[in-house]
Amino acid sequence: MKKALALIMSSALTFSLLSACANKAEQNASESGGKVKIEFFHYKPEARGTFDKLIEKFEKENPNIDVVNANPPDAGTVLKARAAKRDMPDIVGVGADTTFAELAKAGMFEDVTKAPELNNIQPSYIQMVKDVSGLERVYAIPYAANADAVIYNKAIFKELGLSVPKTWDEFIAAAEKIKAAGKTPFYFTFKDAWTTLPAYNALAANTQGETFFQDLNQGKTSFEKGYKEATEKFVELLKYGHKDQFGKGYADGNVAFAKGESAMYLQGIWAIPEIKKANPNIELGVFPYPVTNNPEQTKLVSGVDLLFAISKTSKHPKEAKKFIDFLLKEENAKAYMAEQNAFSAIKGLTQEDPMLEGLKESFAKGALVDFPDHYIPPSINLANLLQQLTHDQDVGKFLKTMDAEWEKVKGRK
Amino acid sequence: MTVPAVVLFAVFHTFPALQGIFYSFTNWDGLSLTYDFVGLKNYYYLFQDENVWHSYLFTFQFAIVSTVLVNVLSLAIAIGLNEKIKFKNFFRAVYFLPNVLSVLIVGYIFNYLFANVLPLWGEKLGIEALSTNILGSEKWAWVGIVIVAVWQACAFNTILYLAGLQTVPSELYEASSLDGASKWQNFRHITFPMIAPFFTINMVLAMKNFLMVFDQVVALTGGGPGRATESISLHIYNGGFQGGEFAYQSANSVIYFIVIMAVSIAQIKFLQKREVDM
Repeated sequence: MKKALALIMSSALTFSLLSACANKAEQNASESGGKVKIEFFHYKPEARGTFDKLIEKFEKENPNIDVVNANPPDAGTVLKARAAKRDMPDIVGVGADTTFAELAKAGMFEDVTKAPELNNIQPSYIQMVKDVSGLERVYAIPYAANADAVIYNKAIFKELGLSVPKTWDEFIAAAEKIKAAGKTPFYFTFKDAWTTLPAYNALAANTQGETFFQDLNQGKTSFEKGYKEATEKFVELLKYGHKDQFGKGYADGNVAFAKGESAMYLQGIWAIPEIKKANPNIELGVFPYPVTNNPEQTKLVSGVDLLFAISKTSKHPKEAKKFIDFLLKEENAKAYMAEQNAFSAIKGLTQEDPMLEGLKESFAKGALVDFPDHYIPPSINLANLLQQLTHDQDVGKFLKTMDAEWEKVKGRK
Repeated sequence: MTVPAVVLFAVFHTFPALQGIFYSFTNWDGLSLTYDFVGLKNYYYLFQDENVWHSYLFTFQFAIVSTVLVNVLSLAIAIGLNEKIKFKNFFRAVYFLPNVLSVLIVGYIFNYLFANVLPLWGEKLGIEALSTNILGSEKWAWVGIVIVAVWQACAFNTILYLAGLQTVPSELYEASSLDGASKWQNFRHITFPMIAPFFTINMVLAMKNFLMVFDQVVALTGGGPGRATESISLHIYNGGFQGGEFAYQSANSVIYFIVIMAVSIAQIKFLQKREVDM
C-alpha cells in the first residue's frame, strides 16, 4: 500500500514538473489580462535602459501590447538553448554574428527578404546579414552598426604635439613618440581574451583581400598566406603595451584609459560609454585603424551590431512587427543612437556626436568592411589563439594553428 | 521509498545521459531539426584533437595537486579543531564558511585580489613574479586556480575529517599516553589508521570534484591565457554550446565520463585495500 502510494506520488510529482514547463510556455504566448504579450530578447546589457524607455513609449501608444524586455547574461548561449528547446522569443535582437548565422540556418527566423522595412536600410548592411549567414534570403532587419576604431586621449595627443595618424608608419611613429615621453601608447587588457579581437579584426580586414574566405573555402589560400601581414603587424603593436597587460581585463582597461593612463586604446566605439562612466570629463576622439600606408584604402571595420529577427514560431508576429516598425521610426532610432553611441543602419541617419567625428568620413564614403572574425567558426576560438600569440609572439606557429584548426573543424562537420 | 528515487533519477539523470551517448554518434550541431549518423567519426577526430589532449593534461595536473593539498590541509585543520581549544565552535563555523559561499563570488573576489592587491604587495616586497597578475601568466595561472579551489574545498573535507576524528575512541589515546607516545606517534599509529575510511572517501570525492572543475576556471581565467587553463568540462561547454559542435563534444563527454569513473574505481580499490592492511 505504502509502495503504491509512493509510486503515485512520485509520478504525480514528475508529471507536475513536466507540465509546469508546458504551462509556462503557454502562458508566455497567451494573452495575459486581455493584453498581447511579446518577448523582446536582446543581447545588449548596456542598452537595457534605453530599451526600457522605448518600450514604455511604445506601450503607451499601443495599450493592448505588453513588451517584455528580456536580456539575460550570456545571451547567445541562452538563445541557442532556447532554440534547442523550441521556445524562441518573439523578437530576437542580436548582432550579425555566428549565433545569428546558426539560428538563421536552422530555420528559426521569419523570412523578411520582401519586407518593406528593408527599403529604408543601407544595402551594405543587408548584404552583411546575408554574408554572415551564408544564405540567399534575408532573415533579419539590420538596426545599428558599430565601428572598430582606435580611441585616443585628445589631451595627451595635444600635450605631445601629435596629430591623428593616417598611415601605419605614422601610427607606429606616434606610439614610439608616446613611449619615448614615458607614457603608455596602448592600454592592452589581454586577461580577457576577446580584447585582442578589435585590433586584429581591423588589421585582418584591411590586409586579407576581398575574397579571402571564399578562396579559403575553395582551398585556394590559407591563413599562412592571407593573414601573415595582419599577424606580424599585430605583434608589432604588442611592443607598445604596459607592464601588467596580461593581468588586466576589459573593465580595468576602460577605467585606466579614462584616467589617462594611456594615450590610445585599441577597442571599438562600444567602449566609449564605459569610459565616459569612469570619467565623464575625458576628452576623447576616435580614428579608423590605419593599417596600410595608403590612407585612401583604409577601410573602417563596421558590423551589424544589432538586428531584429522575428522567430518563426512567434504566436504574435503582427505585434512583433509593429514593435520593430516602432523602433525603426526616425525619432526612436535617433534616441537609440544618441544613447548608445551607435551608427544607424537606416538610410540618411548620421551620427552627429562630435566625439565620433573621426569616423564620419569613412561612413560617408562607404569605406566599410565587416568583422573578419564573424566568418571564423567559434569552435576555433580565435580569441584564445590570439591571447596565446600575445604571450609567445610566434607568428609562424599562430598561422599554422589557425590553418590546422580550420581544417579540423571542417573535417568534423 | 526506492521506487520514486529510481523514477526521478531515471527521468532527470539516466535518460539525458543516454541521450548524450546517442548524440555522440551523430553530427547534430545542437540546433538543427535534422542530423545524420556518422558512426565513430566524432571519436576518431577526438583522439587527434590537440586541444582535447591539452585539456586532459591541465585537468589532471590541477586535480592531482589540488587533491593532495586539500587532503593535507583539511586533515591538519580538522586535527586542530578537534583539540580542546577556546572558541572551538566559532572556529569550526569560520572554517566552514567558504563552503557556503558561491564559487563564482569567491572567484570574483580572488580575481580582484590577484589583479590588484597581490601585485601591489609584490611590487613593495620587490618580488618580480608577484608584481603582475599571476592569472595572466601562462606558466602560473593554474596555480591561482589551485589556490582558490583548495581554499574553498578545504571546508567540506575538513568537516568529513572532523566527523572521522570523533569516531576514534579516546581510550586508545589514554593507553598510548601511558606508553609515553609522542604526538606524531599518536597520529601515525592511531589517528591515521583509525580514520582510513574517511581518508578514502575524501580522496575519491576531492579527485572527482577537481577532475570536473569548471566554475573556478570560468570565474578566474575563462580558460586563458590561450588555452593554458582550459579544463575538460570548460572545453566541452565552449565547444558544445558556443562552438556549435554539440555531437562532437558529446563524444568527448562520453570519454570524460569513462575516465572519471575509471579513476574513481581505481582509487576506491586501492585505498580500501590499504584500509584493511592498516
